[in-house]
Amino acid sequence: MRLRQFGYLARAAGSNLWTFRGRNLVSILIIGFSFLIIGIFLSLSNNLTYLGEQLSNNLAISFFLNHNIKSEEIDTLKQEVLSSGLNLEIKLVSSEEALQRFKNNFPELQDIISSLNTNPFPPALEVRFKEKALSIQTITAFMERIKKIPGVEDVQFNREWVEKMASLSRIVRAIGLFLGSILILASFFIISNVIRLNVFARKNEIEILRLVGATNNFIRLPFLIEGFVLGVLGSLLSLVILFLLMELFPLYVGNSLGAARQLFELRPLTSGQISWLIAGGIITGTLGSVTSISRFLKV
Amino acid sequence: MIQLYHIWKQYQKPHWALSDVSLEINSGDFCFITGPSGSGKTTLLKIIFRELLPTEGQVLIDGVNILKIPDQKIYRLRRTMGIVFQDFRLLFHQSVFENVALPLRIIGLPYKEIRRRVFHALRQVNLHHKMWEYPQRLSYGEQQRVAIARAIVNNPRLLLADEPTGNLDPELAFEIMTIFKEINQQGATVIIGSHDRELIRYFGDKIFFLQKGKIIGKEEKK
Repeated sequence: MRLRQFGYLARAAGSNLWTFRGRNLVSILIIGFSFLIIGIFLSLSNNLTYLGEQLSNNLAISFFLNHNIKSEEIDTLKQEVLSSGLNLEIKLVSSEEALQRFKNNFPELQDIISSLNTNPFPPALEVRFKEKALSIQTITAFMERIKKIPGVEDVQFNREWVEKMASLSRIVRAIGLFLGSILILASFFIISNVIRLNVFARKNEIEILRLVGATNNFIRLPFLIEGFVLGVLGSLLSLVILFLLMELFPLYVGNSLGAARQLFELRPLTSGQISWLIAGGIITGTLGSVTSISRFLKV
Repeated sequence: MIQLYHIWKQYQKPHWALSDVSLEINSGDFCFITGPSGSGKTTLLKIIFRELLPTEGQVLIDGVNILKIPDQKIYRLRRTMGIVFQDFRLLFHQSVFENVALPLRIIGLPYKEIRRRVFHALRQVNLHHKMWEYPQRLSYGEQQRVAIARAIVNNPRLLLADEPTGNLDPELAFEIMTIFKEINQQGATVIIGSHDRELIRYFGDKIFFLQKGKIIGKEEKK
């Protein structure tokens, strides 16, 4: 195909997009809506991933030590913890520091503590994991090993809560994957049918082109360009609406959700996800055109 | 130039749209295929430009069996022909110029050449002053002339027309037929499917009579 033919066909595609703008607008809206739903899911999933990361970042174990623990024993304990092979940081919190922290956090309970005359808080070794996505099994094994070292009295680690969050995240991801696949299939089906209607409405034009000696590629190309443009515009529309939702959601709905707001927050899509969404629109639009037009190209 | 051998065409059993049709049309002929509605005129023309395949028989154009041409190469055959339909088949969202230019756009001619040829074709049908109008703003006769200009713009060696005057009043029909005659005099072979006896008698050099899918007669002016 010559460049001037391509230029003519590109202009013809542009003119067709404008001439049948009503019908094309419907296609753009459907593509936009389908990809908006996928975009919302991606955004929510981003939020859950973010929350999960926050959680693992704050994952800490407190080993409470004997009141009379000797400094050599503390050194041995530190050595043991650091030699575990895990990427972590440790902090020794003395009884005095713990008392001060309590006073700062709960000023209204200060009187009770003062009336005790002794410091009830044992010294503690706080271990914070730097590594993300550590499995619960690894953490538990580490905890059980350190617990057995002399001088360690007790251990505090909210394991159940972390386990629950991990399984919730797994369930949400599985549901998301399932819903996402169904949505992508459904939107492809809808879009290819809308484009098929477009092609059907122009079957007279295809017929004329065939009878005046056009090759199949000559007939196909404007439809491909149109499908491509509809796909790009549809996916861009979904991104614009998603952006507006992100801006407006906290103002109108977010506040009424209270503490649950954090869970339903829409987090911006990554550049990779945006590219995939646009690519998805292009593929759906173009593929929808190809499959719809092929049945009209038989002589 | 065109040879049809024992053409049979069946759409639905047990009726035959064409039964054992054989005919020969020479280069430069001005030829009519006539007969009542449903006699098989349109089917025969559609077989010649390979819109339809016959159930049996062979069609040779310039010695080439067109039934053996693979589907994806049919465009080459169509580019040597001009086809005019009773319902015009124009693109109503495109100007007269773009409608007539379509066969030239397809072969990728430069714009200057396209403009020259389109103007020439439109002048032949006396419609060059309406080059930038849209078909829906034209009368029936003018729309038919646009369709003729599109059919002749690439100087085809064979011009096929199916009931080209079916929707027109007698005066306009005469005018259109005169245009076909002029094109024929410039060297193109013209085959017209029509049931307008008066026009056929006046213009026809070679006439094939069809009835119920069979050739029942042939007339040739010497």
